[in-house]
Amino acid sequence: MGSISRNITVWGITMVHFYESTLIDTNDGLQCKSYSNEHPEGYVIVKPKYIPKDAIKGEGLKYRFLFEKCMVRFNLFAKKEKLMLYLDQFKKKFPDYIYHCKDTKNWFFAVPKQKIKTIHDSRKGLSELMQVPTKDLDEYLVLVRELVEFLTKSGVNVNDLGITHSTLMGNYTPGKSDIDIIIYGKGNGWKILDYLKAAKHKKLHWKTDKEWAEYYQEHKTSESSHFTEQEYVKHMARKRYEGMFGGTVFTLFTVEEKDETWFKWGEDKFEPLGTVTIKGKVIDHYNSQVRPGYYEIKDGEVVDKEDNVQVDSSIPIKRVVTFSIPFVQQAIKGEEITACGLFELVTPKSGEKYYRVVIGYFDAYITDRREKEFIKSNI
Amino acid sequence: MHFYESSIITTKDGLHCQVYGNEHPDGKILVKPKYIPTNKIHSDSLPYRFISGRKMNRLNLWVDKDKLKIYFDDFAKAYPKYIFKSPIHDKSPLFFAIPKEDIEKAYSPSEGLAELMSIPIKDMDEHLRAIAEFVAFLLKSGIKLKDLGITYSTLMGHYSPNMSDINIVVYGKKKFWELMEFLGKNNHKDLRWKTYEEWESFYKKRNRHMIHNKEIYIENMYRKKSEGFFEGNLFVIFAVENDDEAWFRWGEEKYSNKGVAKFKGKVIGNKNSVVRPGCYEITDAKFISGDESCKELSISKIVFYSRDYCMLAYPDEEIEARGVVEEVTPKKGEKYHRLVIGYFDAYISKRRDEEYIKVLDGDEDD
Repeated sequence: MGSISRNITVWGITMVHFYESTLIDTNDGLQCKSYSNEHPEGYVIVKPKYIPKDAIKGEGLKYRFLFEKCMVRFNLFAKKEKLMLYLDQFKKKFPDYIYHCKDTKNWFFAVPKQKIKTIHDSRKGLSELMQVPTKDLDEYLVLVRELVEFLTKSGVNVNDLGITHSTLMGNYTPGKSDIDIIIYGKGNGWKILDYLKAAKHKKLHWKTDKEWAEYYQEHKTSESSHFTEQEYVKHMARKRYEGMFGGTVFTLFTVEEKDETWFKWGEDKFEPLGTVTIKGKVIDHYNSQVRPGYYEIKDGEVVDKEDNVQVDSSIPIKRVVTFSIPFVQQAIKGEEITACGLFELVTPKSGEKYYRVVIGYFDAYITDRREKEFIKSNI
Repeated sequence: MHFYESSIITTKDGLHCQVYGNEHPDGKILVKPKYIPTNKIHSDSLPYRFISGRKMNRLNLWVDKDKLKIYFDDFAKAYPKYIFKSPIHDKSPLFFAIPKEDIEKAYSPSEGLAELMSIPIKDMDEHLRAIAEFVAFLLKSGIKLKDLGITYSTLMGHYSPNMSDINIVVYGKKKFWELMEFLGKNNHKDLRWKTYEEWESFYKKRNRHMIHNKEIYIENMYRKKSEGFFEGNLFVIFAVENDDEAWFRWGEEKYSNKGVAKFKGKVIGNKNSVVRPGCYEITDAKFISGDESCKELSISKIVFYSRDYCMLAYPDEEIEARGVVEEVTPKKGEKYHRLVIGYFDAYISKRRDEEYIKVLDGDEDD
């Protein structure tokens, strides 16, 4: 099945393709967001978004009143010590939601399929929204419609777009909430991103270099700490996944169709080797706009590493993989990139062994990799 | 589980319903459908809303009557199991009811408010902050947090700050009346009551202007302390009955339709006028007009489903009402007659514009 039918209560799902950024309610009252387009058998890889406070108190995290409950808004960027404490409690309280992956020897948040209560279908949601007469929409939803209509001028069909997060759930705040748009299919994703390079609309605004510089100064993050202000501005100013429309921030998330995922869960084996910094030349960035995304590189070399990391120079470094949205669309073909992350030896089901560097595994957020990981282009 | 009026239930097929009474037939919950998905039926005469990722019709009982009738007919075909034929009425009025097995989720106003109040103020938006501050003020009356609730869009999470109303539920009629007394005597810098002009604008809506004397109506509304503004947000306070204080029990009376008529009488009890369905006990009832079959009857209760008529009249005041006259046969005790205003079928007949309750001033005569 290529798509989820609609907001449905699901019992015993077997064949659904879980697009990344799909919202899932669980039988335990959690709301999660799928965090990949590929998933291990019987599970959906997710990031918990909201967790009932009565299950785990969220010291250091924010609370929200949603679905008649006080919910903890899970945030990977909370203070590390608080996050570690919270995760310890989470693992004890919800052990079923931790997937220990034999292939990567790492752990992921995951919802066992039998724990899924409701799947909120982004594509169906937008389709429903587009049928509501404008007179019956509030200013926020009118803006969403207008943005969608503008994006379809790229040639991408409205059926290949969706809405997610608060826009879909209806718990948005006009004037404050972002508009979160899903683009189905990488071809469609690039088509829209290319279109946005030159397209004009009176309500469309991209942050200027000055605004990005201000943003850099105001929003110091572990990712931006690896960039000078000038470098940061250069990287962000050319991206087209986040902009302003009618004064409201919008974000575009490209997700993979079932037949175009760039890896199949369970086919390759990964040996984690330690933290490294590598350099290499991007030879393909086509898959860099999804989660997880990657940059295909050549001439990769390790330029810094932990002492215990053993590198076999006969094995090529071929990929820089990211789960972290700030590093999507970070580099394009022909550019040299530097990346720091978890070094893995990949043994594919078929073909030669190679190395890859992974940025943004969940465990990175509670280890020293959180401050170390980045991807930077030589622009 | 006791299903309180004004709670919200969602059904497995996606309807959002407001519980429409504190007493329910076995196995079902009486409701008013609030939002109905448009995949099976839809009406351009009703407003649309985008809620829970779906295009929904918002049921508005005051849209064009003929269009509403068509919609109700369509609804009955699309959702026959949600139409309830009452066995305790000789001629069943229209009731909407959700079989318990079709409930997806029941939202509890009291649990919702308790959860809301446990959120640190810093994590609240302005709407939730206003509610928290308003509730903190209400608690000064001595009422307990467990006796209060929050409902509608706030409870469901699809409110808009600065636009959505604050809908407070009070559990228990006695507590509600005590709270009204508190609000009548106490003030708060962020609390204000509706002005004459605001009530006048309210008066002009629906068919109120066709029925009421403006000055009397506004004067009567003025004395209500269940509706006002807090930090600029419109609030409405509803009373719901605890399980042990329902003024009638479903199934303990039978009702026989005697026709439609207008009566007047003197209010001798209004304690039950704060809930839905609400009731005024009256004495000295006099038939004014209507079906001949009602002419010789004496009315002792005036029952209503519209919250417009809550706390409209007080003991010793004379009221006039038009609605369906029913003979009531209790399991125990004497037969009596009552007048009912606001059954759902009234909204698709000429009764919609003819049913009412109003307070008479001394000079009014029919």
